[in-house]
Amino acid sequence: MVARPVVLRRALRSALRPSAKSPIALARPFSSAAARLAPNSTPDYAVPDPARPTHFGFETVTEAEKRERVAGVFTSVAESYDRMNDLMSFGWHRIWKDHFVASLNPGFSPLTDGPDPRASQHILDIAGGTGDIAFRMLHTAHVVNRNPDVRVTISDINPAMLTVGKQRSAALPASQQAALTFVEANAEDLTKTTPLSPNLSAPNPHPTSAIPSNSVDLYTVAFGIRNFSNIPAALREAHRVLKPGGVFACLEFSKVDKHPLFNTIYKEWSFRAIPLIGQLVAGDRDSYQYLVESIERFPSQEEFRDMIVDAGFVVGGCGYEDLTGGVAAIHKGMKPRQ
Amino acid sequence: MPPTRSIPATAAATRLLLRPTAAATPLRLRSLPRQIPAAPSPSRQTPRALLSQSHTRLYRSTTHPPPPGPFTPTKSAILSAAYAHVPEHGFTPASLALGARAAGYLDISTTILPDGAFSLIKWHMYAQRVGLAGREGSIAGFEEMDVKARVEALTWERLMGNKAVIWRWQEALAIMAQPTYVPASVKELAELADEIWYLAGDVSVDPAWYTKRASLSAIYAAAELFMTNDRSAGFSETRNFLRRRLGEAGEIGDATRSVREWLSFTASAGVNVLRSKGVPI
Repeated sequence: MVARPVVLRRALRSALRPSAKSPIALARPFSSAAARLAPNSTPDYAVPDPARPTHFGFETVTEAEKRERVAGVFTSVAESYDRMNDLMSFGWHRIWKDHFVASLNPGFSPLTDGPDPRASQHILDIAGGTGDIAFRMLHTAHVVNRNPDVRVTISDINPAMLTVGKQRSAALPASQQAALTFVEANAEDLTKTTPLSPNLSAPNPHPTSAIPSNSVDLYTVAFGIRNFSNIPAALREAHRVLKPGGVFACLEFSKVDKHPLFNTIYKEWSFRAIPLIGQLVAGDRDSYQYLVESIERFPSQEEFRDMIVDAGFVVGGCGYEDLTGGVAAIHKGMKPRQ
Repeated sequence: MPPTRSIPATAAATRLLLRPTAAATPLRLRSLPRQIPAAPSPSRQTPRALLSQSHTRLYRSTTHPPPPGPFTPTKSAILSAAYAHVPEHGFTPASLALGARAAGYLDISTTILPDGAFSLIKWHMYAQRVGLAGREGSIAGFEEMDVKARVEALTWERLMGNKAVIWRWQEALAIMAQPTYVPASVKELAELADEIWYLAGDVSVDPAWYTKRASLSAIYAAAELFMTNDRSAGFSETRNFLRRRLGEAGEIGDATRSVREWLSFTASAGVNVLRSKGVPI
């Protein structure tokens, strides 16, 4: 491993450093008030700060700069995104996504073929621009589980990716299209979401609104979270919007350290072949170079699991499931009932 | 459970390796209450607590507290509520979701259980195995029985633990036989066999430690399968089945012992005959 991600180092440092923020703790060092406050207060590494250094591939940039450059990457790959995914993973990403959705089984409701009598299920698909996960969710919920009372909000920071998803959604049955909403939002701050603007070049005419706290049943993010500028902040925002009992589910590239031989082949493929394929097929080497570097910099399964637990989720079992030996991994966490 | 006297670290380690219920441990220790370590708080699990969930010890120790159970408080809440729905809905996702609702969670909450319906089966097996230690007192004349009779009584007691869900146990066995779940199921069976021999007061430290557990595992698994089809009153057919199998295992044990004695006698006699002929052995 090249280096521990900056985010984690910061998390570790601020966890070890005694907090100087609470005057109560300073004035009464043995008071239990500080300990009682601790679970509710957000540690400073989980507060987005545009000037804080983070990593963009192997480079170190500020959080604000990363946001812009990630936007640049995905605006340039939006059109060729699916074709490239197929070429890079030999089509295997479809299997991962199918398994991810099947393991979540959205819309499943016992006994009745219809909806849960208490409330409809709300799924928030973060960084879901092209709709890959959202369309599978709707199919499982509406067709497999025969539960039409499931709605999906597709959120992405990048309007170019959302536009691709919107176009693709035109092929869906009308009932499924009606259950879809497309919003532009930054996953670190879901209090400011904007419906997708019809015209990408003009400023978005819609007013911003917030995703309310405790309103989401299932929060999914597939191959997106490693591009976030501040992952702890995004995890805490997920915790805020989820209902108690709601599930955070993440599909992301991960580490193959458990299989050294396969790891060698995999690394060769990532660092030599993928940028080359990007150059030949999409005419964009830099974006795909960023892609493989960002995978390399993403924390290991255990580290990321600990970040999820740190944000207040509970996990079942070891907290993650390796796919294809760890090339990708599914992490799940549940917001506990208070 | 504090040891009755201080033991040097190496000696304690050797005893642990051999088998903690070795002859040195007084039998009465097994009636002491178990220590169940405090479970981690549901909202903030530490990574340490997560790691310790994967318990590796496969035997009972009187000098070390038992490893924490594999279920976190949240999982326990969902699974214990879901268990109430098993007689009606079986070991299925439907039971899990109904349990999640009853415990105040959402239908989707059950997806964090990594094994789905198998988690519910594991819950049943774990609860029944751990509950066995408290029930030995309710068996009539348990203290006066010899080890063999105790094993039979305890195995029967464990089989009766399946009574409430026996109509659903065939589908549970089918799930347990899926390749993904076979290792966990076999491990649970091994731990059950160990638990029964331990509670019966078996203190052997010879190679029979393994054969006893292996044969009891096989007999228990067979009896469990027999019971799913047993329609007799009070499962008397299963009881007879269990008694016959345990008897056969005892006979086989006696037979192998006789064969071994005969072989060792013949071998040493042969060596002596050769020595008497002047062969330098």
